[in-house]
Amino acid sequence: MKKLNIKSRIIEIVPIVAMLLLLAAYLIMMGDRFSLYMFETVLNQTVITAVVATGAVFIYTTGAFDIALGSAVAVSAITGAMVYNRTGNIVLTLLTMVGVGVLIELIDSSLAAFLNLPVFVTTIAMLSVLGSLVKILIASTGGAKVTIPRDAVRALDNSTFRLVVLVIFVAICVFLYNYTALGRREKFLGGNPVCAKLTGISVKTLSIIAFVITGVGVGLAAFLTVVRAPTITNSTASSIGLDVIVAIVFGGMPASGGARSKISAALIGSISMVLLSQIMTILNYTAGVSQLVKSILFLAVVTLSGMKGRKAMLTR
Amino acid sequence: MKTDKSNLVKRIVGTLIIPVIAILIFYIVCAVKGIAFFETSNHVLIFCRSIATVTLTTFALSINLNSGRFDFSLGSISLLASVVGSTITLQYNLPAAAMLVITLAAGIVLGAVSGLLYVLLKLPALITSLGVALLFESISSIIAGSGVSFTTEKALTQFSSSIPNMVIVTVIAFGFMFIVMNYTKFGFNYAALKDGQKVAVDTGIKEKMNAIACYAIAGAMMGMVGYINASLTGTIQSSLNFGSIGAMFVAFLPMFIGGFVGRFSDQYLGMVLGAATYATIQLGFVRLGLSSEAQSLVSALVLVGFLIYLNNEHSIVGLFKRKPAVK
Repeated sequence: MKKLNIKSRIIEIVPIVAMLLLLAAYLIMMGDRFSLYMFETVLNQTVITAVVATGAVFIYTTGAFDIALGSAVAVSAITGAMVYNRTGNIVLTLLTMVGVGVLIELIDSSLAAFLNLPVFVTTIAMLSVLGSLVKILIASTGGAKVTIPRDAVRALDNSTFRLVVLVIFVAICVFLYNYTALGRREKFLGGNPVCAKLTGISVKTLSIIAFVITGVGVGLAAFLTVVRAPTITNSTASSIGLDVIVAIVFGGMPASGGARSKISAALIGSISMVLLSQIMTILNYTAGVSQLVKSILFLAVVTLSGMKGRKAMLTR
Repeated sequence: MKTDKSNLVKRIVGTLIIPVIAILIFYIVCAVKGIAFFETSNHVLIFCRSIATVTLTTFALSINLNSGRFDFSLGSISLLASVVGSTITLQYNLPAAAMLVITLAAGIVLGAVSGLLYVLLKLPALITSLGVALLFESISSIIAGSGVSFTTEKALTQFSSSIPNMVIVTVIAFGFMFIVMNYTKFGFNYAALKDGQKVAVDTGIKEKMNAIACYAIAGAMMGMVGYINASLTGTIQSSLNFGSIGAMFVAFLPMFIGGFVGRFSDQYLGMVLGAATYATIQLGFVRLGLSSEAQSLVSALVLVGFLIYLNNEHSIVGLFKRKPAVK
């Protein structure tokens, strides 16, 4: 029993060890060249994925997943930018982005909850709908991009602001996840949906709340995206949906959700992925070789950290 | 006797209703707008090619998804198989038939590798397939750089321009799936594992071999898709960062239509008819001059609408059923 516990603990820290090893490799390679600017580069690249991934942990905990998060970020960013261009009010822009993010996720989860659709299907349909919406919204402005003036966001385009947004959002999510009944119920639902339902937990309500929290993250990520690059095109945020899945799983989150789910997976995974990309850049590898290394490392870490939940039958 | 006859009519109507309605709608709308649905032979070719590629992708997606295995790697298998097939063919100056055989073989091998990784790593299929998609995309990028081009090789770009070729591919793919899934030991084991994994494993069915074979079949289908797409344009564009994943999204509507039709006849026939429905919708949109954004928007809404019906059929039918009078 004791042996099993030690093995479990070792497996649990695999993602953290992987992140620390990547950090060490990054620092060694940077050597004397490491500076505050380098730190800011890593932070800037981490924050957007980390914010979306932190919210998305609530969805993944219930055993569901959302592939359309990138398109949701893009639609939120475009609508917010359009609002700014009409009103010139940055607070209203932020509220619009968060509102649109929540609305998208609300529609997504309501379709699944009230019309009995499988969640993965609604998110795939949403991917097409939102992807088209991005193009339609951009085309409606008469150009190939939506832009807000650089001056409007210049004051917010710094690492301190990004860090504050990330810390506040993560703190709220950690509180909800670890210190309220909501988090416990989400884990229960992911671990054993039948049992959770029989004990009176409302699967529909929990699922909708999970998507709404993710929607807040989507809206914040949209705002951070616009602050960083105030020009939005068809390809803005397009890779976030899958980056989030990769980051969360790399960070040690079980794909089936349940009791072993944790918020930290989103942060660890996001940081690890950015560090890996930075290392590949330093090594001057081609995009293909970088992705090859990324895929092998991804499969290795996920295999090691998933060893605890092995079953005799194949996992579906 | 009468019941047999009405059952047969019910089955025929259930099998054909969706594609027939789709074709009727677009024929009528096009006629109202003064447009011919099939104006030139090129429209027929586009229609047949769309049926072929969507049918193959649907078979590839459904063989694993019906067993609860979500496979994101389909597009990357298609990409890498076509890169391998075209690169070897160009390097050794081989004929078009060789490119077909090599691409198909590469698809089978890549599918089997994907299945083997799934079995060995014992991770959920969704996670393994994400890693495999990254892996295959990167290998294709390393082999081909930004892509492969053979537009000047006329012999290699003719396969997809032939209507009979597209019909033959569709018929062979359907025949293969129909026979293998309905009349072989593999198919019986597959059905048993799909509907009762634990019981099937306990009775001695070799789940791992069955899963690897499923992935290999999916790989063969996607290899063929890769060959059709490559020979269509004479170019293969490398894609990274999950750019290949979009290839599988065309298959969802036909797969669910297949499930619906399966109640009345055979689900694989239903998938072919689903692919025909999808091809009708796509060609109809093109003929009506809808933008690509509007096309994907409406396609997604059609998918959602169809699924809402499927998942709430009893409630929806109940609304239109006459309630018995209260005595």
